[in-house]
Amino acid sequence: MSNDDFVARLQAAVARHIGAPGTVHNFQRLTGGANKTTYSFDADIGAKREPFILQVPAPAPPPDENDPLAEYSVRISGDQDARLMIAAVKAGVPAPRVRAIFSEADGVDVGWVTERIEGETLMPRVLREERYASARKIMAAQCGEILARIHKIDLAEVPFLKYLSAARQIESYQMTADLLGLKLPALELTLRWAKENLPVNPRHTVVHGDYRAGNFIVGDEGIRCILDWEGAQAGDPMQDMGWVCVKTWRFGGRGPVGGFGRREDLFWAYEKASGHQVDPLHVRFWEAFGSTRWAIASLRLGTRGIEEVDIERSAIGRRIEEPLWDFLGLVEGRD
Amino acid sequence: MPKSMPEATLLLRAAAKYLENELLPTLDGYHRFKTRVTANALHIVSRELMMRAAQEVEERKRLVDLLGHEGSVQELSGELCEKIRGGAFSLDDPRLREHIRESLHHALEINNPKWLTR
Repeated sequence: MSNDDFVARLQAAVARHIGAPGTVHNFQRLTGGANKTTYSFDADIGAKREPFILQVPAPAPPPDENDPLAEYSVRISGDQDARLMIAAVKAGVPAPRVRAIFSEADGVDVGWVTERIEGETLMPRVLREERYASARKIMAAQCGEILARIHKIDLAEVPFLKYLSAARQIESYQMTADLLGLKLPALELTLRWAKENLPVNPRHTVVHGDYRAGNFIVGDEGIRCILDWEGAQAGDPMQDMGWVCVKTWRFGGRGPVGGFGRREDLFWAYEKASGHQVDPLHVRFWEAFGSTRWAIASLRLGTRGIEEVDIERSAIGRRIEEPLWDFLGLVEGRD
Repeated sequence: MPKSMPEATLLLRAAAKYLENELLPTLDGYHRFKTRVTANALHIVSRELMMRAAQEVEERKRLVDLLGHEGSVQELSGELCEKIRGGAFSLDDPRLREHIRESLHHALEINNPKWLTR
């Protein structure tokens, strides 16, 4: 389908779902990842021109029965991403407001349209620029408060979320390393540590799955919106709390929370908003195990076959020691 | 095999220098980013060529001390992995910790020395 053709169909679908005339302006592709493509456009709704985002998920690959890792996948598909964001907004989470969900009947790809929120997602700017100085002071507490709301989303509204216990996550990482033939004692150490330090009786809630700096839209006043819901799953809510502290997501900043804030502020704001006490050791498990998770992710990205070789992905493979080094720092009390 | 001149590390540094000092300033957006990543990859390979052989000698020595017998780094690391997984080492074993810390430190000296001072 040509671009003009696509825009014409988008226009008709916008008119039908959101409002006439739906005339589309400034249509552009923002990012195209393995999982979905994101476009930006404006459209005339009544007499107003409104800013929108269109997201089109990649079709789910056919199940590969020979892939021993398939049973560990928690990937959501189709319009589930959008249905989760709708449930999140309902629970008071600043997630993108979904304006339309398209299906094949609309003559465009399966996908969804959300409002487009202006702001900064590039963390080095948020951490450095003067205009975000007051935002930086309150963002750790905001992270805690928003997370408490995410964890209150009714699981019954999003029954498609899959659960993978920490123990099963460890198994899948072990298997990933074994399949690639990687013999890295540092990685084995983190996996064994995780096995010996598994959280006992965690709560069971919606988990955002990729809750971290870089997936937040930030304005001068603080966090405006939480993005990237495709990693969502059901599970231990403290997984999100640890992930937002992983050193990789501090972008060189000093604060343990996203480079900008203190763990104490994250914790008290979460406790206040959720009514649940935070056990710092429980969060530390997920922060340390988050380092393992990022080590495995860089390994997977960096070891794609030669057909898929790409300098950016290959270079990420060489980042595996960064989180393992951070893991040691964390469990040895240097962070 | 007689060694060709100039050395591989010098060729790599020359290539990185061209990318960084001459090409990069003329680019923006996607290609600026990719070129930066490419130059960085050349620096990694260059540091690996300069440092890895000496690191491997030390790494093997530490592994022989830990496991109590000879072998290649590859073999001994595989054995150490199995022993860690199987519980033959305590996670607090100071010699194990020391070996892992040193190995990570060495790898980061090649792959991203800046990470060590973060």
